[in-house]
Amino acid sequence: MPKKILCVPLDPVHDVGIKLIKSALDKRGHQTELLSPDLTMEAIVKKAAAGNYDFILVSRTLGYGVAELLARFNDLLDAAGIREKTKIVIGGKPVTPELAAELGFDKGFGANSSTEEVIAYIEEREINDSSSSVQKIKKNLAEPYSYKFFHSEIESLLNSIADKFIDWGKNKTSPGIERVRLREEILHAGDKNIQQALIKKYNDLSDAEIAQGNVKKIYPKGVREVTAEELDSLESFLRSQKSAGQLKIQHSDKHPLIFKFLGSGCPLMDIAHGKVCERWGIDGFLIINPSWEARYEGLLFGNLTHENDGTITSLENIRLIRRSLDPSTLLTVRAHRGLNTPETVLLAGKAGADLTKINLVYGSLGAGTDPIRLGVDGLEAIRLTATYGIPFDIPGNDELSGVPAWKTLAGLLINVMVGVKLNAKPILKPLFCYGPHIVLNSFMEKNFIDYNAAKILALREIVDCPIWPGEPIAFMTQSEERVQSANATSYHASLAASLGVDAITIASTDEAYSRGPIAITSRIDSIRAVTDAFRFVGDAGFKLTPEAEKYKNDLIQKIIEVLRAVDEKDNLPEAIYSGLLGDQNDGAYPGKFGAGTVSNKVR
Amino acid sequence: MSTALERVMDAIDIETYLVCRDANEGRMLALKLGQELNLGDVDIMFEEFDGYGIRLRLRKYVHKPGSRYEWLNLSSNKNYQQGE
Repeated sequence: MPKKILCVPLDPVHDVGIKLIKSALDKRGHQTELLSPDLTMEAIVKKAAAGNYDFILVSRTLGYGVAELLARFNDLLDAAGIREKTKIVIGGKPVTPELAAELGFDKGFGANSSTEEVIAYIEEREINDSSSSVQKIKKNLAEPYSYKFFHSEIESLLNSIADKFIDWGKNKTSPGIERVRLREEILHAGDKNIQQALIKKYNDLSDAEIAQGNVKKIYPKGVREVTAEELDSLESFLRSQKSAGQLKIQHSDKHPLIFKFLGSGCPLMDIAHGKVCERWGIDGFLIINPSWEARYEGLLFGNLTHENDGTITSLENIRLIRRSLDPSTLLTVRAHRGLNTPETVLLAGKAGADLTKINLVYGSLGAGTDPIRLGVDGLEAIRLTATYGIPFDIPGNDELSGVPAWKTLAGLLINVMVGVKLNAKPILKPLFCYGPHIVLNSFMEKNFIDYNAAKILALREIVDCPIWPGEPIAFMTQSEERVQSANATSYHASLAASLGVDAITIASTDEAYSRGPIAITSRIDSIRAVTDAFRFVGDAGFKLTPEAEKYKNDLIQKIIEVLRAVDEKDNLPEAIYSGLLGDQNDGAYPGKFGAGTVSNKVR
Repeated sequence: MSTALERVMDAIDIETYLVCRDANEGRMLALKLGQELNLGDVDIMFEEFDGYGIRLRLRKYVHKPGSRYEWLNLSSNKNYQQGE
């Protein structure tokens, strides 16, 4: 039944809110009247008394002395007998339900209230959560792309490099590949005794620190099992704590998806952070593992928590995180570090993760794995991404060591071509960063826009492939100062939106603080900043200076030179050893973990 | 019994400005502030002395990864449900 409503702007300036509410109520068929903002209180009360209204909606921004003014207004309404038959509602930015009650109003709506909430109250019905909350749909980042190369010389060089590399690796194996076979068998073994025998074989192929954990439950320092009681508590927590309405970070459908890192060390803490971040609009997470995992052959089994940085890569941990997150949330698991690359992809696929992270070059230079070992393991891992239908993202974080952007981008493109040839779906991840090579060469002296943009423009001119700048964006521009850090992230996010990339990874405002784990408030800080940035940039964009075009052309030319040199080598690992994709002057050193462990397959 | 501290998901950050003579005094006061607020040792995440005082971001971890989180029992413990 339509209600009769008097809308009263008690504020001479801020009356937009009540006009919007009036308009929404009119559309719902209610009978509304809007008073002018210059009436005295006595005139308003006189009007209210004469009208027999169901509701009086008062709009007022609260400030000094306003409480007294509103109390007087309520007293006048009381004296006129209006309150007996009419509900009095206040709305304004700082209004809370508690404050409204304190001031004598029947109801109050503040900055976080929606028009739908006000209408639901007027119509005396429950709010329909689904109408005010965003419905999220999981997005496949790779789907819209053809992986067609536009630059014939680069395509030809990449074809040659990738063919030689795949051919080089075809008869080779490693303990990492042997373990991935065993893992598959363990997962499919129906008989418990067979399974135990396979697990024993697995542990025999693992380092003692891992086997000891899996057999005797004596774990590396700081690691313990998550207890059954903790898992029960988590279930109850997830059942009882619900999101207060899903928010969206993007202001336009063209804005990129937003990812954050997880990897506090504890899957339970990761899940708690993940659920809060989901509510604020985060689209996906990357699970980061402990750095020590890279050094060991084999992975630990079970739900495990860790007191230090990095969440342990176990099937059970990934499953727990995946199951606890919203089905629409994308989850990626880092695979390219260390000696367990193919097995990590297998676990990611089996646990229902959506993406994984492999960079054959950066994984060999910045993370300590021997290039031959990662070459062999990486090929198998990329094949597994195709088997499980999960795209792999290729982070260009070698730039942070001091590697020039053109070498990093050449490395990313080699990964893309290898991926395409193995029927996988690669995703380019150039950095939006203020890397050492950029600083030394003053590429960003005038602005942070042109050089970052040039990387995207160069890649777009070369191949039709998803682009996801990371990792996180604004690397090396952020400090421990909260506002500065949030600003740096939001500016880079705006640039990403302006360039129309597919996704970005954002830091928290304590990312530059290295002496402790990321805190949830710092995560929300940067999400809020990016949400505002996207609202600000909308469907507009940044204007690049002519320098961006010059940088782009220079990058493409130098990528070609790097690829020509790589193509002169017999295979990719040889090119990495010889420093063509980053040498000691660039701060890049070929890794040593797993050196000498690759063997020929037994025919 | 549930305390508010037990409900802190991970850390407490304090942002403030302390009037001081120099950065050294500011740092000393920051640590003293943590003690006076019964937070024990706090970490100085960020500091910026500007001549009049020091702008600070301090942090105290209440629940670190790998520890037992009292807030996880929010729904399974009656006392927590009542917010006692």
